[in-house]
Amino acid sequence: MSANVTITDCGDSALVAKAVGLDAEPAWRLVHALADALNAVQLTGVHDVVPTYDALLVEFDCATTDHATVRRVLAHEATRLGPHPEPTTPRRRFVVPVVYGGEYGPDLPEVAAQLGLSEGEIIALHSGTDLTVRCLGAPAGAPMTDGPPFPKPVPRLASPRTRVDAGSVAVAGRQAVICPMPSPGGWPLLGRTPVRVLDLHSDPITAYRPGDTFRFRPIEPQQWDEYTDLTLADLADSAVGHG
Amino acid sequence: MADTLTVRTAGLVTVQDLGRVGRSRYGLPSNGAADQHSARVANVLCGNDDRAPLLEITALDFACVPSGDILIAVTGAPAHVTVEGVVRPQWEPVPVRAGETVRVTGIHRGLRVYLAVLGSFEAERLQGSCAPDTILGFGPPLRAGDELALRTACPPMDHPFSRIPLFRLNAPVPPFPTSWTIDVTDGPDRAEFGDTGRRLFDAPFTVTPRSNHIGLRLQGVVPRRVTKGEVLSRGVPIGAVEVPAGDELLVLHRGRGVTAGYPVLAVVTATGLSALGQVRPGQTIRFRHRTLDQAITAHRAQRHAIDALRTRVHTAFEALRIQHGPALKGRGELRTQPPPTRISH
Repeated sequence: MSANVTITDCGDSALVAKAVGLDAEPAWRLVHALADALNAVQLTGVHDVVPTYDALLVEFDCATTDHATVRRVLAHEATRLGPHPEPTTPRRRFVVPVVYGGEYGPDLPEVAAQLGLSEGEIIALHSGTDLTVRCLGAPAGAPMTDGPPFPKPVPRLASPRTRVDAGSVAVAGRQAVICPMPSPGGWPLLGRTPVRVLDLHSDPITAYRPGDTFRFRPIEPQQWDEYTDLTLADLADSAVGHG
Repeated sequence: MADTLTVRTAGLVTVQDLGRVGRSRYGLPSNGAADQHSARVANVLCGNDDRAPLLEITALDFACVPSGDILIAVTGAPAHVTVEGVVRPQWEPVPVRAGETVRVTGIHRGLRVYLAVLGSFEAERLQGSCAPDTILGFGPPLRAGDELALRTACPPMDHPFSRIPLFRLNAPVPPFPTSWTIDVTDGPDRAEFGDTGRRLFDAPFTVTPRSNHIGLRLQGVVPRRVTKGEVLSRGVPIGAVEVPAGDELLVLHRGRGVTAGYPVLAVVTATGLSALGQVRPGQTIRFRHRTLDQAITAHRAQRHAIDALRTRVHTAFEALRIQHGPALKGRGELRTQPPPTRISH
């Protein structure tokens, strides 16, 4: 087995490969490259791969393949890739308007209090750097990015909400996300974007990919209507260089 | 004009298939029939591809009328199934003449009934599947008056001594007990629960009304995570048993979000997930620990039974000169679907 990956059984129809002993960036590159490699092999029975920050979930039909087979291919590909696979495609940058605080981001005061910062400082940190999309996750293909450079991780809500509005911009731990569709959620909400995140008529329905970056831009509530006809795809820069 | 199937009593019914394959990487859950076994058998009994669209009828009464002659199969939870008032068997193909009313009432012991039609019907698809995704708002429940366009018409067909069941195909019928045993294997984070992990098997859990195709919430004496610390979001399998907070267990089902940050104590087996898709709120569950080998053997036995049924259906349909779908070429297995756009970084 590759020195950089541990592979663990995850029920009768899945395995998890986890990058170990690597920094966040190479760990992330490795699990995504491993997912690409597994797709390219088209192993019978393997139907889904979910690469995230430092882990890769591989889902298969255990009637037509088994753990040992998938494990062997994963280990082989991990060894072939080595610890530092190169990025391959240009990245895109999305500048995303956000109304912070108030009814748009009801947890802004609480997050500020927990981190010992002012609300303005939280907004400045959240909108002050490009955040890299690490994976597409729950709910509904949500762009999951690195968290802003806060001094410490943000705790999840003690009691999750039964409904979070579409476009909500949330943080938890060392991660950040935009919630594309109304859904339950336990992450503190800092604000909301008027832009539609998904386009159900596109394939895939998401305009962004892992490796793209998001930059949040504060707007005023009265500017909301200027953006409601837009989707995220409309906000993408052209490629801004490789890697 | 193509024949249609008109919904007369809607209850709670959706157009389903076995789910959205190959889209987890885009953050889209599989979804699809909650009881995959019953759904698969319904299509096989109609000579359809395993993944063909069919109806998932949940808990409430349902009625429909075809405009042409059709052949249907009704599987899943025990129910009272009638065609034009005459009781018809579940788990066998049943001919229905044009204008006759098919009724499914009194669903009991289980939660979901599947109704497939020979040749299937037209269904809107999202990313290759007609399975509803409630988060995306795709695939809303059918309403009374809705019409489904049937893909084929079946020749008029009935037993010469009318109303004696035409087929005896001996489909594999799973048990529908009043108290369920659900098989699980160890989860990847079993160690994070220390000795309390055993609580999963010590006593029964009760399914709460806040349960659906995304996840089932269970009440009982729950295990406790003994470790602390932030977990980065990562992919979680369908069937993951998690302990979010409070006094409830969460068991993720087919509509689950593909990523989560909770440790996974156990994972429901493939056969266990079909059973879990039938458990009603208020019923009790006991978890049973299985090894991976035991779980895989059970799943393969269930699939082999379906493959054998497929062969019997083919033989019967050939003898009756019933034209049927492409299912008999493939064996319903899943293959990697290359994503439409390669995700790299």
